[in-house]
Amino acid sequence: MLYQKYVKMHIKSSMQYRLNTVFLSFSQAVVAVSELLAVYVLFQTFTTVGTWTFYDSLLMFGVVTTVFSFCECFFRGYDSFAEIVQSGELDRLFIRPVNIHYQILGAKMEFSKLGKFFVGVVVSIIAVCKLSITWSIWKVLVLLGMFVCGVVVILSLMILGAGMSIYTIENLEFINIFTAGSKDLAYYPINIYQKWLSRLFTYVIPVACFNYLPLTYLVGGGTLLPWVYALSPCFGMLIMIPCVLFFNFSLKKYQGTGT
Amino acid sequence: MPSIIEFQSICKNFKISLKNKGVWGSFLGLFKRKYKTIEALQNVSFSIEEGDIVGYIGPNGAGKSTTIKIMCGILTPTSGTCQIAGFVPWKDRKKYVQHIGVVFGQRSQLWWDVPVIESFELLKDIYKIEESAYKETLQLLDKTLNLSPLFHVPLRQLSLGQKMKCELAGALLHKPKILFLDEPTIGLDAVTKLAVRDFIKYINKEWKTTIILTTHDMNDIDALTNKIILIGKGKVLYNGSFSVLKNKYARTKTITVEFAKEYKTIQIEGYRVLEHNKNVATLQNEPTTEFHTQHFIEEVCKKYEIVDFSVSSISVDEILAQLYKEYEL
Repeated sequence: MLYQKYVKMHIKSSMQYRLNTVFLSFSQAVVAVSELLAVYVLFQTFTTVGTWTFYDSLLMFGVVTTVFSFCECFFRGYDSFAEIVQSGELDRLFIRPVNIHYQILGAKMEFSKLGKFFVGVVVSIIAVCKLSITWSIWKVLVLLGMFVCGVVVILSLMILGAGMSIYTIENLEFINIFTAGSKDLAYYPINIYQKWLSRLFTYVIPVACFNYLPLTYLVGGGTLLPWVYALSPCFGMLIMIPCVLFFNFSLKKYQGTGT
Repeated sequence: MPSIIEFQSICKNFKISLKNKGVWGSFLGLFKRKYKTIEALQNVSFSIEEGDIVGYIGPNGAGKSTTIKIMCGILTPTSGTCQIAGFVPWKDRKKYVQHIGVVFGQRSQLWWDVPVIESFELLKDIYKIEESAYKETLQLLDKTLNLSPLFHVPLRQLSLGQKMKCELAGALLHKPKILFLDEPTIGLDAVTKLAVRDFIKYINKEWKTTIILTTHDMNDIDALTNKIILIGKGKVLYNGSFSVLKNKYARTKTITVEFAKEYKTIQIEGYRVLEHNKNVATLQNEPTTEFHTQHFIEEVCKKYEIVDFSVSSISVDEILAQLYKEYEL
């Protein structure tokens, strides 16, 4: 498959700077661990935040870190799409007989993010073991759904940002408010925040759909019917549709105007 | 020969947002913008026949790259129709681009940090080239460009000339019917330039590839093309054979004369003195005078004693400079 070839090429490229990649990976892991410490220290003082204990937050930290680093590694093409536009590489994508989205996915990868990814996975496993959850097949599916939904939501935000950068030809820090902002927000239960903020991160940018809502299903509680919580990751993934449509529209616009 | 590229009254307008001055202005610009429409191409029509090598020339900002981008399917024109190899480039993109190859002189399509051959193999997969066809093509390209010593070197370690050879090969692996070359010889040394030109000619002859070439190097045009399209300010100004154009301007000759001694002033009827330094002078015939060697010598020898002289035709660069001047570009 072509995608595998792309991955292979990126691995070979980063192998040219082996030491650099290793160090970057390591520093990414250290950054993730230090963020984790911040969460830990908070729980040393408060024991619970909202309805969550340390291990609830720990699972969220694990999910968010895993999902983010995965997206930053494999969807780098959307994440730094402005560079692709600026360097004229976008023109190059148009002259290849391959779908544009497929090519963007293949265009850039950042393997140093895998250091962070590793931390995220380990933390998630620890948290899942420590949380007292009575497991069923549905709960396992919902847990997996959290990761999938997380990846889809972050990817969608990246695609949205990429679409915008066609107009501005700059990477928009603006979109980082939502990506990076939602990250720190997601370590704690969303109902502790102001109403407008929790609504924003539930309905507009469905961050809650891959942390607070499905976690409520896993650990029990909540005021709504259980299936609402269980299916929330599926709802969250719908964000992809408008984002991709917007991006494709922007691409059409690019063909109409050039730069 | 049937025409492979058919461009019919293509127009392309760009809307450019005008930037306000100052910090306050750019802040206001976030809410309200003024736009200016720029007509990059105005009613551009031409057709190119299969197997032609066409030089697409014009000063900077004339609309060359816009035209190329439309032909490659990157941009959609504001109005007009275009048929290339039976396709409308910006529709049916994926099928169309299988038939074209593109080399942008200053931008690479190969991977910077990976040995060249691996980039080629990725292209093989992108264009779904069959293994046997790929091997055969690669062999031919290697034979004519002598690429195999470069195959296992990462692109970043290659010289500019070596890179250009690899770029050309990369654009031709899928044996496109049409090859677009955007300044293919820019920055190359003389030897590589000649090699690249020879290669372009060879491919054109061997595969009957139609080649469209933009360049500022007039020797490229002279050596390669049998037809030129001159564009300026978004309009086609000349479309036809280059030799016709050359003959038109070839009437002007530059004559360098070495005299036996230093003369204060030199005056020869029908000729203008371009330069006069000690006992050497450079002359040019006036547009009204037809240059005739014998006649010229007789004229000069009437008044002066000469040692040596040489005649040269106007250079291709000068022809173009005159053309630009004529069309006020």
